[in-house]
Amino acid sequence: MTNTQQTLESPLAPKQTRLEELWELFRQNRLAILGLIIFLFFLITAIIGVILTSGQDPVFDPAMIRLQEKLLPPLTRPNIETLQPAEIPTLGIYLLGTDDLGRDVFSRMLQGAWVSLTVGFVAVGISVLVGIFMGGIAGYFGQGHLRYDQIIISCVLITGGILLALGTTYTGVGLLVAGHIYIFFSIFSKKILARRTLPKWFNLLHRGAISIDTIIMRAVDIMLCFPTFFLILTVVALLPASMYNIMIVIGLTSWMGTTRFVRAEFLSLREQDFVTAAKALGVGHFRIIFRHMMPNAIAPVLVSSTIGIAMAILTEAGLSFLGFGVPPPHATWGNILSDGKRFIFDAPWLTFIPGIAILIVVLCFNLFGEGLRDALNPKLREKG
Amino acid sequence: MTIKRILILVPTLVILFLLQSYLWVPTYEEQTKGNPNRLHEYITASTGDATSLNPIISSNSTSSQIESLVFDSLLDRDEELRFRGRLATSWEISEEAYFYLNPHAVIHHAMTSDAGKTDAEGIVRILREARKRVTDLDPVLKATLNRIKKIMIIPPEKVVTTTHYKPAKEEKEEKEIEVIIQAPARIKLSLTEVDQDLFINLSKILGNDYFASFDGVQYLKTDPLVDKKRLAAYAKEYLPAIEHNPVIIFHLRPGVRFHDGHIFDAGDVRFTYEAIMDPKNLSPRTADYEPIKEVEVLDSLTVRIVYKRLYSPALGTWGMGILPEHILNQEALKKEAERLGKDPDKFSMRQSEFDRHPMGCGPFVFKEWKSDQFIDLDRFEDYWEGSPHYKRYVMRIIPDLLTQEMEFYAGTLDSYQVQPHQVERLKKDPRFQSFSGTSFGYTYIGYNMRRAPFNDVRVRRALGMAIDVNKIIDYVLYNQGERITGPFPKQTDYYDHKVQPLPYDPKGALDLLKEAGWLRNEEGWLEKDGKRLEFTLITNSGNDIRKAILAIAQDGWKQIGVNVRTDILEWSVFIQERVHKLDFDALILGWVMGIDPDLYQIWYSNQTHPYQLNFVGFENREADDLIIKIRQEYDFEKQVEFCHRLHKIIAREQPYTFLYVGKWTAVLDKRIVIKDFDEDGVMLYKKIKPTKTGDYTFHFNRWLKIPEMPQLLD
Amino acid sequence: MFSFIGRSIVQKIITLFFVSVVSFLIIHLAPGEPSQVDPMNPKFTPEMVERFQKEFHLDKPLYVQYLYFYRDLFTGKIVSWKDSQSVLTKIWERFLNSLPLFIVGTILTWTLSFPVGIRSAIFRGGIYDRSATFVSYLLISIPGFFFAYILIILVVTTLHVPVIGMETFGLGASSWGTTLMDRIWHLLIPSVLGATGGIAVLSRYVRSQMLEVEGQDYVRTAKAKGLPPEQVHYKHALRNALLPFVTMFGLILPGLIGGSVIIESIFSWPGMGRMAYEAILARDYPVILTVNFVAAVLVLVGTFISDLLYLVVDPRIRL
Repeated sequence: MTNTQQTLESPLAPKQTRLEELWELFRQNRLAILGLIIFLFFLITAIIGVILTSGQDPVFDPAMIRLQEKLLPPLTRPNIETLQPAEIPTLGIYLLGTDDLGRDVFSRMLQGAWVSLTVGFVAVGISVLVGIFMGGIAGYFGQGHLRYDQIIISCVLITGGILLALGTTYTGVGLLVAGHIYIFFSIFSKKILARRTLPKWFNLLHRGAISIDTIIMRAVDIMLCFPTFFLILTVVALLPASMYNIMIVIGLTSWMGTTRFVRAEFLSLREQDFVTAAKALGVGHFRIIFRHMMPNAIAPVLVSSTIGIAMAILTEAGLSFLGFGVPPPHATWGNILSDGKRFIFDAPWLTFIPGIAILIVVLCFNLFGEGLRDALNPKLREKG
Repeated sequence: MTIKRILILVPTLVILFLLQSYLWVPTYEEQTKGNPNRLHEYITASTGDATSLNPIISSNSTSSQIESLVFDSLLDRDEELRFRGRLATSWEISEEAYFYLNPHAVIHHAMTSDAGKTDAEGIVRILREARKRVTDLDPVLKATLNRIKKIMIIPPEKVVTTTHYKPAKEEKEEKEIEVIIQAPARIKLSLTEVDQDLFINLSKILGNDYFASFDGVQYLKTDPLVDKKRLAAYAKEYLPAIEHNPVIIFHLRPGVRFHDGHIFDAGDVRFTYEAIMDPKNLSPRTADYEPIKEVEVLDSLTVRIVYKRLYSPALGTWGMGILPEHILNQEALKKEAERLGKDPDKFSMRQSEFDRHPMGCGPFVFKEWKSDQFIDLDRFEDYWEGSPHYKRYVMRIIPDLLTQEMEFYAGTLDSYQVQPHQVERLKKDPRFQSFSGTSFGYTYIGYNMRRAPFNDVRVRRALGMAIDVNKIIDYVLYNQGERITGPFPKQTDYYDHKVQPLPYDPKGALDLLKEAGWLRNEEGWLEKDGKRLEFTLITNSGNDIRKAILAIAQDGWKQIGVNVRTDILEWSVFIQERVHKLDFDALILGWVMGIDPDLYQIWYSNQTHPYQLNFVGFENREADDLIIKIRQEYDFEKQVEFCHRLHKIIAREQPYTFLYVGKWTAVLDKRIVIKDFDEDGVMLYKKIKPTKTGDYTFHFNRWLKIPEMPQLLD
Repeated sequence: MFSFIGRSIVQKIITLFFVSVVSFLIIHLAPGEPSQVDPMNPKFTPEMVERFQKEFHLDKPLYVQYLYFYRDLFTGKIVSWKDSQSVLTKIWERFLNSLPLFIVGTILTWTLSFPVGIRSAIFRGGIYDRSATFVSYLLISIPGFFFAYILIILVVTTLHVPVIGMETFGLGASSWGTTLMDRIWHLLIPSVLGATGGIAVLSRYVRSQMLEVEGQDYVRTAKAKGLPPEQVHYKHALRNALLPFVTMFGLILPGLIGGSVIIESIFSWPGMGRMAYEAILARDYPVILTVNFVAAVLVLVGTFISDLLYLVVDPRIRL
């Protein structure tokens, strides 16, 4: 770390952009670099894997069943005589062995890399998007208050909708219509009645009741009350098995951290001079949010999302173990691993290959994320 | 620096303390050496916990395993699957048959003197005469007549009953209705054995339509009046022209005691029946006992059970554990409810503590049940057949198979149900002895016969021929399975071994399909009238073998040009949304069969509606006929014959592609043996041998673990 | 102070209400029926299914079911659909089973994390720090069940002793010492597995806290005064770095009920997690909802305690 300090403090050092500076710091952390390299390698593998294993006639067919070739250890040559030409593995060898149906584990791992990655990315994508959105609103518009009438009307509308869904048609429709009439009325009344004095009870309705910030943060509190894995398990077990459900459920149960973080960040940023300046110039809210504030808040979110991806991959593996993972025909590392565990004595590679692969990749995501976090942390940067 | 030292010392001590506990834990060898009692304990495992230990309520396998040890039944099956008396020493099956006098029917049989219309006495006379004239009768009729032991006349009587009905579907309220029955004279025949053809044979004497032309409607009145259709239904219900009432009389074993010392008697048998039928108990077994008309206690050791109709599975249903009446009757339950502070009116057996503290008169006494941990039983010293050799029986609940295996190796489990791929390895292991046998369930691919193209038997047959079942058995089941061709358990006599399985013959399959109009197009897909042969094959998740079959079937069908999509669904969705609602093309599923050959629910043609079990929609009149005959036939030989015929029909129609019946293998510690005595009363150890049907636990009560590996014996 | 407590209690009760509504909706709106009545059991007739539905109030509208459920819960009368057992008794039994795992796991986590974290902070960037970082990330990155199996197989095949369950079966009547030690042995592996993640995360957290404090001026001053580094690290720095951890005591409370589904299934440990998992499989709604509710209460109580501790510990905060 002393090196860094010298370069940073040396007046002769060339002026660096933030990114270069970041890279410079990041490079010090060898583990993180290793993580990055393996992460990139994994990414490339996954992309190549999806190309090579999908389509009508894939180069590596992960679904090809050769029952006579089942449970062969890694690096076994196929028994050419018993196989039809189409069934011979592309590499002429079972690089990672075969599973209990004689499927090539190497092809399955290739395919699984992509699926696992997708699960991780999409789940975290959802959680980051929801998190930023909620956090952004809470942080930026948080001081705004919902009025009593707005709350009452939305309650009326929601009850109407629920009643309608439950089959109580008349009351439901009645409530829905009443709600909409009131909305019309209030838009209308704003224009016409603007200058007239309103009756007292009407003013009371227009009084602010609860701030948006409170609502969102309470929603975060509510979500945090659920034991996460248990919640995921419940939802996944009750819903029909599907890869999308798993991604969405993991995503929707992990946005709270991001929300809190973005909110805190926005609360401090909105007091900053550049935001005030932008407001003074008459820049629109959304432009301020996305152009000016977001870039300053996003980096740490991305860091936590790399770790989030790692966690999502592990969660998926855990769900697979309990029988609620991504359903076939999609192979994921998680379900290859949990399928393989039955054969741990008879075919240990079926457990160890995916197990160690998950271990390495998750480790890399973690190390990479940690390295980034260190590099971004201003306190640690200055006082290394 | 003290803080530093503490910070390092504390975790080190904690870890050391935790690690040293290893020294106290016994290894495999030490468990039996250090603790001789271990030899008298049998520890086994199950993947799922029991739900309830009350035999009339529970419905899962762990529960029934424990119940079979705690409770004893009237009878069970022996090595050859024949009935064997337990709490009942013997039983007699006879029949009482009834028919109403049909005054309008004209009798003109050659051998009767009273031709023309006749009254009850006339009928009795005719029958008596016929019995005497043995020479010129056909043998079947002769046999029937010989079975008649007694003929009685029940004089006409008037009965008034009230019943309920819903006037229309929309109305919720049920209406009360009074039915006035002015029954004509009735003739009661007591038979020495059950005869389902009794009335068919009697009509040879009394005239072909003597029974059929009996019209009950004329003897009925209702208040208020109802339409004709309903009246006819009431006539059928209250005045059936003919009625078979099979009767079973059980003679009970004297001196049998429940675990609390109370003497077992006929009242307990009747109580068990009443408890099952009590709607408050929500027993899942009501269907088995619904045909019972009454259970009558003749004396403390004799029970007479009368059935409403012919129901040949009847005897088998008494393999049910007998409940102790004195613990569970109304007063006892009321007391318990009061003790627990619950509403006595709502309190039923389901709420009773008996559910978790069962007591019967079986070989083991219930001791303790810790949910998801273990169920602990002690032997019953006063068991009527002599108490078991094992002093303790423990059923552990270990959900994960791999950990079960590890516990078996560590010596804290005495048996392990081997998974197919492990059979080879564990059979060779010198420490263990292994047993295998065929199970009572089979796996099949079922086709929704309501939908094209599955309504064509040639297509179903062709699809079956395109699947290499031997390959499934070899590779997926590791040879732990056998082919099956029909719906009966393979180890029973009902299964017809002469029926040949479908050959694996893709070419033949293509020929059959060609016959049915399906031809391969340029791309190789089968087509008929421009439509491809394509469908979805589904199964439930969580079963690896079915998953593999799914893949193999898809592959096999793809090769003959059938485009198959596959889907694996979560169990409840699979059942509720697809199977129950009949929304599927083809599915992979399995049935677990009982020994009794009753196939009514799965194959009868009126069971094809949503939520019923004939979800493939199999309808075959010949089969229907046989199914009814089988469940009415009390004669084993005849039943077997009917079953063989039914088996052939189902095999011909191929509503399912029958795949295989699984083989199970269990391994035991080799030191477990049978302790027995020879003729001279000298004790000797014998090797455990499975029975013909593969049941190795048949002699469980005589098992024991011995300290040294036995060198014996056979 | 009191107004803070009052406000926070009201707020938490409102949150709890919403949690109860949300969890109720999630479970009841999911497709599929409770499998109390096994749909494929040929012995069940449609009438019986109907009777069960009546018994469980499943034929009533949703809000009525909600009211029934929470009425039963608060009067303690709630029973499981699977075995008609009182849910609260069941949860209490399971809780007692999970408790030793939780205690040993927590002790391991909290005693190990501090020395490891502090040392890596002191020797920041050194070989020890790096390997500690690496190992702790390794520990969080292993799929739990994979790790568990490897450990079990290693122990059973090399040491030939049982590790599954809460105790060795068939141990017979042995002295209480042996029984105790046997139980501790059975606790060891699952609690180590349960603690690995916690140790890794907490030791990282200790490290970063220490680093932050070490950068403060008073630590520099202390160093500059020429105090021995040991004293600076363990007296000046550590005390202040400990502050946030005091409040974390409240936050371990939810761990009481969370348990680990996976570890408890593998070790056939009859704890909370496994009961919840089995309830999910059987769609035993009362149990699922009660577990959820209790978990939410624990989370809220935990945060409340940690807020209070913060008030007590940090003199700068006055509400």
